[in-house]
Amino acid sequence: MAIHILGIRHHGPGSARNVKTFLESVKPDIVLVEGPPEADGILQWAAHEEMRPPVAILCYQPDNPRQSSFYPFAEFSPEWQAILYAKRQNIHIRFMDLPVAHQYALENEAQAAISSQPENAGQETAPSPPQDENTTTVPGQPAIENEVLHEIPVRYDVASLAHAAGYDDGEKWWEHMFEHRADNQDIFTAVMEGMGSLREIYDGKDNKLELLREAHMRKVIRQAEREMFQNIAVICGAWHAPALHNMPPQKGDNELLKGLSKVKTECTWVPWTNSRLSLYSGYGAGINSPGWYEHIWHHQEDDGTKWLVKVAKLFREKQMDTSVAHVIEASRLANALAALRNLPKAGLEELNEATLSVLCGGEPVLLSLVQAELIVNNRIGEVPVDIPKPPLQQDIEKIQKRLRLPAAADWKDYLLDLRKENDLERSVFLHRLQILELKWGHRSDVTGKGTFKEQWRLQWDPGFSVDIIEKGVWGNTVEEAATGYLVHLAKEAADLPAVGKLLEAAIPAELPLAVDALIQRINNLAAASSDVVQLMEVLPGLVEVSRYGNVRKTDAALVMGIVESMTVRICINLPPACQAIDEDAAAHLQALFPKLNDAINLLQHGELTGQWEQTLKVISQNQGTAPVLAGYATRLLADRKLLTGDELVKAFYYAMSSASGPGIAAAWLEGFLTGSGAILLLDNDLWGVVSSWVEQLEEDMFIEVLPLLRRTFSNFSRPERKKLGEMVKRGGRAAVPVTEKSFDGQRAEQGIPVVMALLGLQH
Amino acid sequence: MSTLLRQHAEAQFAQELEELGKQDHEKRPENWKLSPQSVVTYLMGGKLKNGFEISPKYIGNRRLMEIAVATLTTDRALLLYGLPGTAKSWVSEHLAAGICGDSRLIVQGTAGTGEDAIRYGWNYARLLAEGPSEKALVETPLMRAMKTGSIARIEELTRIGADVQDSLITILSEKTLPVPELNTEIQSVKGFNVIATANNRDKGVNELSSALKRRFNTVILPVPDSMDEEIDIVKRRVESFEKVMALPAEAPALEEIRRIVTIFRELRSGVSLDGKTKIKQPSGTLSTAEAISVMNNGLSMAAYFGDGRLTASDLAAGITGAIVKDPVQDKLVWQEYLETVVKPRDNWKDIYRACRELL
Repeated sequence: MAIHILGIRHHGPGSARNVKTFLESVKPDIVLVEGPPEADGILQWAAHEEMRPPVAILCYQPDNPRQSSFYPFAEFSPEWQAILYAKRQNIHIRFMDLPVAHQYALENEAQAAISSQPENAGQETAPSPPQDENTTTVPGQPAIENEVLHEIPVRYDVASLAHAAGYDDGEKWWEHMFEHRADNQDIFTAVMEGMGSLREIYDGKDNKLELLREAHMRKVIRQAEREMFQNIAVICGAWHAPALHNMPPQKGDNELLKGLSKVKTECTWVPWTNSRLSLYSGYGAGINSPGWYEHIWHHQEDDGTKWLVKVAKLFREKQMDTSVAHVIEASRLANALAALRNLPKAGLEELNEATLSVLCGGEPVLLSLVQAELIVNNRIGEVPVDIPKPPLQQDIEKIQKRLRLPAAADWKDYLLDLRKENDLERSVFLHRLQILELKWGHRSDVTGKGTFKEQWRLQWDPGFSVDIIEKGVWGNTVEEAATGYLVHLAKEAADLPAVGKLLEAAIPAELPLAVDALIQRINNLAAASSDVVQLMEVLPGLVEVSRYGNVRKTDAALVMGIVESMTVRICINLPPACQAIDEDAAAHLQALFPKLNDAINLLQHGELTGQWEQTLKVISQNQGTAPVLAGYATRLLADRKLLTGDELVKAFYYAMSSASGPGIAAAWLEGFLTGSGAILLLDNDLWGVVSSWVEQLEEDMFIEVLPLLRRTFSNFSRPERKKLGEMVKRGGRAAVPVTEKSFDGQRAEQGIPVVMALLGLQH
Repeated sequence: MSTLLRQHAEAQFAQELEELGKQDHEKRPENWKLSPQSVVTYLMGGKLKNGFEISPKYIGNRRLMEIAVATLTTDRALLLYGLPGTAKSWVSEHLAAGICGDSRLIVQGTAGTGEDAIRYGWNYARLLAEGPSEKALVETPLMRAMKTGSIARIEELTRIGADVQDSLITILSEKTLPVPELNTEIQSVKGFNVIATANNRDKGVNELSSALKRRFNTVILPVPDSMDEEIDIVKRRVESFEKVMALPAEAPALEEIRRIVTIFRELRSGVSLDGKTKIKQPSGTLSTAEAISVMNNGLSMAAYFGDGRLTASDLAAGITGAIVKDPVQDKLVWQEYLETVVKPRDNWKDIYRACRELL
């Protein structure tokens, strides 16, 4: 009986190749792989023909999907090759790590311990440390700051071996020592001895989780021995190899593993992306250059030429002239560099430096292109469609297929024309996912006019799998789940603006049931709400929604009912709300006025418009109204031609009279002229009112109000002020005086035949 | 001690080169005096097996030097590119000294450099008397390098006119120099290569044609990464200057160097060292080389006109001269910097007063 311990680096192409050759030569009858035993049941899918790495095993706790972890596999992962080998040879394969059921239970306990200690509360928001080189915890999860679960500094350990070998970086040393070498005899023995010597220094005895994991791995190995397997191959992270080789007495392990609490867990396969394998996406566990690893996995014999040809091809695609001679020179330089550094073969660093020096003319900017497109080579894996998945996930995939919206690792832009059936469906689908808080699509503003267009940028993230499972409690289809979730949010929402936002989201997502519930909710809240500001905030959105109805084929009548009742409520409550408030509150209220005014204009509802105008009059005339609002209301009335000529002049002079006090007058004027630099220029009546008022001022009076005027005018833009000044110089005439007299009809007529002849319209 | 003002690299570091040659057991490319590994050691410094200390010539990224040396082992020429004062010529000189023991084969590129300075010229008296002959030919440094298999250096390549630059193409790609007048050619001996330097700051330079660019591998020499690195560079160069000039002044305090480097770095990057204050940038490049010359200048002042101790007032003139290149714009920038950054700093009062006096 033989047990072969193969210490590897996760995602190492060299390790993968070694594992493959080793397995093919020793022909084991069972393969044990570091990974969650819960996933044994879904291992059968690995050899499925529709399976395309990178993929990951997702383990999660069904009653708390946030508690989850991913075990990613690339094509060049040694574990993946071991699994494939076992499936091809039809031999047994098992995962042997500590079950995630126990790991989650431990983490939950640790977390509970933290939350019961309020003085540690600050640590909970710290980013979560990766639990293991190969496991990736979900971001945003609270950190587990507990001595039981402390990470061992694996990378540092390798660094000390690397230092002994004269390298300054552990990664690099490992790469040259184990991943890139061609001669692989006894490599696993070497790895084990190296790690063994490290473990003598860092024994990891204080790390309980590591001890538990290794104990469980040994337990699985013993189990396999008892089952009379003759030739056992064990694939594990290099660090664990010595611990599995020197088996301690069984008794100690059993005691350690006794009485561990556990939670219910589930596993499935999910697609993974190359960028998630790479270090740059914020995960501690991973590799720098998945694209490069993939390249050397497929082209082991490549001396860099194939890679540089790829680089040159990329540059040519991006319209940069790159000749064959360039590639030859770059490859020579890379090999010269490798020779200079006493390396048997040019690695990625040498190739990058050669690319930089020869192909990019020293400009590092171009190299970042190579980094993104080739070295990381972002793409998404595929898993077979018939893998058992959560129903919501299945529904999403079905719709993605039907609407031809593939989930891709790189972003892609879609411009949807909502007048088309398919695009409308896509838009509805994307809006529903937004409600479910799946950040797959990002909407951006469309250029051009019309509400029938939507611009979306889509980028799939494998992490969505967890979100989908989490939202699965609200329903089994996207529509059900979105409706359920919205209704739930509506119940939770305490104030009108929040519900208004939900309604705005629900209308384009075409969720009639949710819209009904939301409208009910708005109605209830609006009736109870005494806060006119909240009503004013919600109303413009609702009006927008009722306008949307035409394109979206939604029932706008529902919304109209609410809009009417709310407008009436606003008109009643607004005048008192404008009284006896301080400057800040007035400014806040004033900001809501134009939107509301526009919304009412948009409605074109005679009765409501009348009520609104009446309200404005009341506000402008009430004595106690905040002056800035009174001024603004007067302006709106003037705009609507309800206050013209002498009436307007009277109102203006009245407000600006010296008895009101300079502060009040200034505020009134500010309200009156808000954002109207251009209007002053164009509207002769308004100009006349302001201008003649200034002209009639006595000198003393003028000096007194000058600061007030300055305060108002300083809000206008520079060119506006300049034009106003020019206009004053010209005595109030418009900038380009167009008079009828300058146009001589008779003379112009004479030219017409010539123009016609030139255009070929007349012979 | 030599009476020369400045010795060539191969003379100044003759002992280092000799020791390196003795200890060097790696394979050497043909006509190279040292193996590529030893050339890198010569540039970056290090300790030999027999304990001999090699002083670092280039302080910075070792990888850049490796690329440069590796380039010269292939048949591509090397183009060192960068801001003025980033040690381009310095590196080029030492590369040539390390590789072929001769850094003197140099063509200084100017707007007036003609083809006869790059390819060959004629001795007109001979030409008229004897007609075209080998003897009437005047060799250029480049031609000599081709014949002996050594490294030729071209300084400020981009200052040379584009038509003249292109005469390098045949030399670099076919490694021959045709002499049509004599119906002959000069073919390069193994070991020949070209190191060119060019700076990317100056206006009015002649961009290389893409045909010529293709013959060069480009290495961009950056300004020093860190404060400590820059201080180290300045210190070493100033010390070597003292040796050469036999100055009686006391060795410069590290503190003074640190201050100069701080001022230069802050003005160059446009932000104070703590990253909190934005600073206007002057028009000059304020390279490390200029920091070195400010220090040297200060040392001379202290030695000949002061009491032998380096003080802020000895440095002030040099600093002001290095920073204020444009008498109107830069003066304002410098004044603002003095008032807002230098003045509030503790222990900087002396340098503030000294500089204020000069403005």
